[in-house]
Amino acid sequence: MRRRPMVWAGLLLGVGLLGWYFWPRSVPPPPVAGPPPHPTSPRILFAERSVPIPEDNPQTPAKVALGRKLFYDTRLSKDNTIACASCHKPEFAFSDGGKAVSTGIFGRKGSRNAPTLTNVGFRRHLFWEGRSPRLELQAVGPLTAHDEMGLEPEELAQRLQAIPEYAQAFREVFGEPPSLRAVTYAIAAFERTLVSYNSPFDRYQAGDDQALSPAALRGMELFFSEKGDCFHCHVGPDFTDDEPRNTALYTVYKDIGLARATGRDEDVGKFKTPTLRNVALTAPYMHDGSIRTLREVVQHYNRGGEPNLNADVLIRPLGLTEQEVDDLVAFLEALTDTSFTTNPALLPPGGKGGTP
Amino acid sequence: MKRGWLVFLWCISAYVLAAPVELKVNLRVGSQPLQWGQTYQTPQGQRYRLDLLKFYISEVALVRPDGREVRVDGLALAEFKRDGPTQGVSVMKLDVPAGQYRGLRFNVGVPRELNHLDAGTQQLPLGVNSGMYWAWNPGYIFYRLEGTALLPEGNQKWVIHMGTDTFRIPVRLHDLQTRRVQINIPPAGGAILLNLDVARAFEPGPGGVFLDWRKQSLRQLHGLSPETSLLMSVVYFNMQSAFSLAQ
Repeated sequence: MRRRPMVWAGLLLGVGLLGWYFWPRSVPPPPVAGPPPHPTSPRILFAERSVPIPEDNPQTPAKVALGRKLFYDTRLSKDNTIACASCHKPEFAFSDGGKAVSTGIFGRKGSRNAPTLTNVGFRRHLFWEGRSPRLELQAVGPLTAHDEMGLEPEELAQRLQAIPEYAQAFREVFGEPPSLRAVTYAIAAFERTLVSYNSPFDRYQAGDDQALSPAALRGMELFFSEKGDCFHCHVGPDFTDDEPRNTALYTVYKDIGLARATGRDEDVGKFKTPTLRNVALTAPYMHDGSIRTLREVVQHYNRGGEPNLNADVLIRPLGLTEQEVDDLVAFLEALTDTSFTTNPALLPPGGKGGTP
Repeated sequence: MKRGWLVFLWCISAYVLAAPVELKVNLRVGSQPLQWGQTYQTPQGQRYRLDLLKFYISEVALVRPDGREVRVDGLALAEFKRDGPTQGVSVMKLDVPAGQYRGLRFNVGVPRELNHLDAGTQQLPLGVNSGMYWAWNPGYIFYRLEGTALLPEGNQKWVIHMGTDTFRIPVRLHDLQTRRVQINIPPAGGAILLNLDVARAFEPGPGGVFLDWRKQSLRQLHGLSPETSLLMSVVYFNMQSAFSLAQ
């Protein structure tokens, strides 16, 4: 009789262990399907980072392939002339190749400079105001804006459903017909593969002492010093804090930036800090593409910008010499990763070359 | 005796059981039915055509004669597109107890607790497929009116995209003081017909300010931008009286 409680305890323990063993657990998400490593890519510091993947949009090779196809397809626009890649060209690190502002459907001009998509999967805030929280939702903007691609959700869905290869691909990837939502999820999956970490600066970080020129090394010292003072905003692996700031570009801003969304006077002229990766490929600069060269941008900050009540507290005359300005430019140019802009996995599918 | 019980039960069930009611909308320009493709004129003499109207209706309640409300859950997206119907269009289905009401109230917009959820995970009538998600400014467009201005220099598209929690439009169509507003919902259900005068948006505001489409910045009216917030406030104020109960 005395042994009975022990037997029951043993049985309970056994059942508990079996239950623990067989209890259904969430399956860990599959590994990120990024682009295959480029032959010239060394294993370097920032390559260790993995792009955050939202739970409701797991990354699969088929979805990335569909997103890539959509990214380069002009049929996603009202007049069949504009694709995402029309303004985000791979050869310019997915920016608009020398244009201050981009041209949308029916020749309509936008009002802002198309930003690079380099490492865009790491961004916490999107658009120049930084008001969009994720790539899936950001993509709704250009796809539907009347001066960009200009399609209503119904029209986009009908148009893609009428293309048999798309109808089939959406069924296979999402288990449903094409829709604006599915399009944005596929494009976001592709955008998360736009990863760049093979610049001379990255190779220097990895231990290659020859990767940076003497001028770039001097520029790097300035960049991360209080004198150059670039690093407070252009911080972290992608050289951005993702925060909106007024850089004293104008005294009176024609485009009021974040204030357009918040209505607050103190937000007038605030735009998100852009990444500096591949910045030498993404001219012209600033939210409106009003500065043509990197050197002129550095000169703008060296002067301390224009008088502006909302100017960021860090904006002030820097007192850099002409040589120091050149050195900073040399460092910024050393953030260029040509293996990113030529990576075949990121170019138009089917080897069509060129972008729309 | 038996008949008395039957009448009693009928009265009780009529009170307790919900009657199906359709909320229908007639689009008007002034007092006239809206016709797609027709050229209209603002009070300031600017000529325009209408291309699209979409808006959310939420937080609907019918108001009883004693002031109590019968609140209706749910939210609907009303859509009016070129060449589609503009008169007697059903925009929402309600289930309310049969009886006498002194009007109704609702908001044009999305309730705050739904307005800021992740649009990627929401279903119609919300979500990105609604065509009402505001990509650059989290939340939904509540009232979306689009058209074309016929200007001397050529036609220009204009939009009014009213949204953000600040611009949720309250519509109050009840009157407890007089008997002017009477809505009778029989046990079998029925319809409540509303008129919406879309041209009300173009009425001038304080000091005569108006939506001057010759200015490019006023052809994109949206959000809280200080550039346009005065005129957005004028449109917001005007829209509160743009709905009326059809006789």
